[in-house]
Amino acid sequence: MAIPEQDLIRIASKPMNRLEAVYLPEVFKGFGVTLRHFFTSFGQGKTSRTMQYPEERREHLPVEQGGMEPRNFRGVHRLNRDERGRVKCVACMMCPTICPARCIHITAAESPWDDREKYPAKFEIDELRCIFCGMCEEACPVDAIELTTEYDVVGLSRQEMVFDKEKLLKVYDVTISKKPM
Amino acid sequence: MGGMIPKPSFLDAQFVTSAVVLLVVMNLLLVMAGVAIYLERKLSAYIQDRVGPNRVGFDLGLPLLQKLFGGFGFWGLGQSLADGIKMLLKEDYTPRGVDTVLFRLAPGIVVIPALLGFAVIPWGGEFDFPRLSVPVLGWTIEAARVEVVGAAINIGVIYLLATASLSIYGIALGSWASNNKYSFLGGLRASSQMLAYEIPMGLCFLSVLLVVGSLVPRDIVAYQHQHGWLILSQPLTAVLLFVCVLAECNRAPFDNAECEQELVGGYHTEYSSMRFGLFFLAEYAHMATSSAMWAVLFLGGTSLVPFANLPLVSPDDAGILAVLAKFSVLFGKMFLLVCFMIVIRWSLPRLRFDQVMQAGWQGMIPVTLLILVTNALVVFAGLATLPVLLLSNLAVAGVAAGVQPLLPKRPANHKIRLAGSRFSPLDHESVLVTTRAQGVAVIDDPRRTSALSAH
Repeated sequence: MAIPEQDLIRIASKPMNRLEAVYLPEVFKGFGVTLRHFFTSFGQGKTSRTMQYPEERREHLPVEQGGMEPRNFRGVHRLNRDERGRVKCVACMMCPTICPARCIHITAAESPWDDREKYPAKFEIDELRCIFCGMCEEACPVDAIELTTEYDVVGLSRQEMVFDKEKLLKVYDVTISKKPM
Repeated sequence: MGGMIPKPSFLDAQFVTSAVVLLVVMNLLLVMAGVAIYLERKLSAYIQDRVGPNRVGFDLGLPLLQKLFGGFGFWGLGQSLADGIKMLLKEDYTPRGVDTVLFRLAPGIVVIPALLGFAVIPWGGEFDFPRLSVPVLGWTIEAARVEVVGAAINIGVIYLLATASLSIYGIALGSWASNNKYSFLGGLRASSQMLAYEIPMGLCFLSVLLVVGSLVPRDIVAYQHQHGWLILSQPLTAVLLFVCVLAECNRAPFDNAECEQELVGGYHTEYSSMRFGLFFLAEYAHMATSSAMWAVLFLGGTSLVPFANLPLVSPDDAGILAVLAKFSVLFGKMFLLVCFMIVIRWSLPRLRFDQVMQAGWQGMIPVTLLILVTNALVVFAGLATLPVLLLSNLAVAGVAAGVQPLLPKRPANHKIRLAGSRFSPLDHESVLVTTRAQGVAVIDDPRRTSALSAH
């Protein structure tokens, strides 16, 4: 489809004057710009925008300066525990259904506890496939799955990055103080 | 004792000095290439408000050395060393279908000329070589006044010009042998650019040589000690030669041979590991050589201040201290020029290839020819003093600026008809025409369609 005429911005550049056409004075003006940036950002000066990552982190900055907002940051997943320390999940299969990356794999089994019918015998999230969209968190009816503030997760193999139930519960234990349920 | 082996006839003071200079300068140049790469990354980072390499020190990841050097925070000075080690240890991949011999030869052919040029740069003026006796062999080397230069030859400047343009063989061969059209295009661009800029470069050299009256780099430096730096009397020539040097080094804004946006990596697309490293090294070594050459021609070489003969750096002083002082002066100038080239790279956009060619053939060559003629006239009339040379040079600049608007204008982005293509077919040629209405391909000559449908 053709772009309608009112959406087009036609740019007519000014013709160069004699001094600009000589090219060299303008070149030196350009050097002025680069050198100004050089000196203002030298040694992380005032125009430098770099954060020295492993030492400086977004968590340390206020939100207004680009810091992390822990309440809606979407990091690695955790499986929440209930007040008795059991996994909260009821294996309703909402999250693997909604998951656009198909990275959640649940094997449901009959619950050993009498307050619910099912529980996840196996609960695996492939963190390498996950796109961290947060849909699982939205879909969960019992607030069992949540995204945490942890983002620097590494592993030496692909298998290591498939988080199982124990690991996800451990993430809960580690992050519950940083991000309350 | 001694005298068992006769002293070789070539072993004199000049030979020993040259050997020492070559040994020192060659290693210094290789280190300089690493330093230049580090500088390039650091300067570009600061220019773009980034930080650049700042993690790699000299601890090589060993805990003991980490304690010694205090871990990282060494301003990333070890980055070039780490990159060099990385390049040496990486897999050297030779793609299928390459011309194996040329492919392997090309990086060497690029590196060698870049390092050769250094031999004739007059690093430290003259040196009073003391009488020296070799202990075991019983030889004596007589005291003499020698030149601190790798090769004290009389055609120094011609040699520089020749070696500077030799590296194009490596680029052209490497790109051809890669069996990759992007590489090949890069090599072709480098070659045609070399042709276009070799001529004005030679003419700039000639203008300088006319004024100085000698081909020996030492004499050029001595002339500038006496008459003031040549950049003061020949500013236009200096600028034009610097532009030529940039084009010769395939350096931005003339780096069309390796422009990433059009040609992937250019002529070294197919190269990996240390073979690529050699191309990389050659580029920076070439920059350093050209900068030193430019400093010798226009910035007075080893002279520190344009008109004054300071004690240590005057041509008559030939002590070891004077040699070191002169060396530092020239090396400092070279270093600053390399920095300037880096700033140019990160300031100016790359020229389009037709603009490069147009600037070379229609701009540089006529102007440098004009400079040559005016310089020749000035020298012929015996008026070769600084004010006259400066005036004639500025007059050439004025004439060029005056004539330029009178030249026929080319449209900024004109299309070139590609004869035989779909849009400009040859006579009586059938072409494939796809019409939107019918949605099918009709094989016909578009200009005869109406005639055919009339039947």
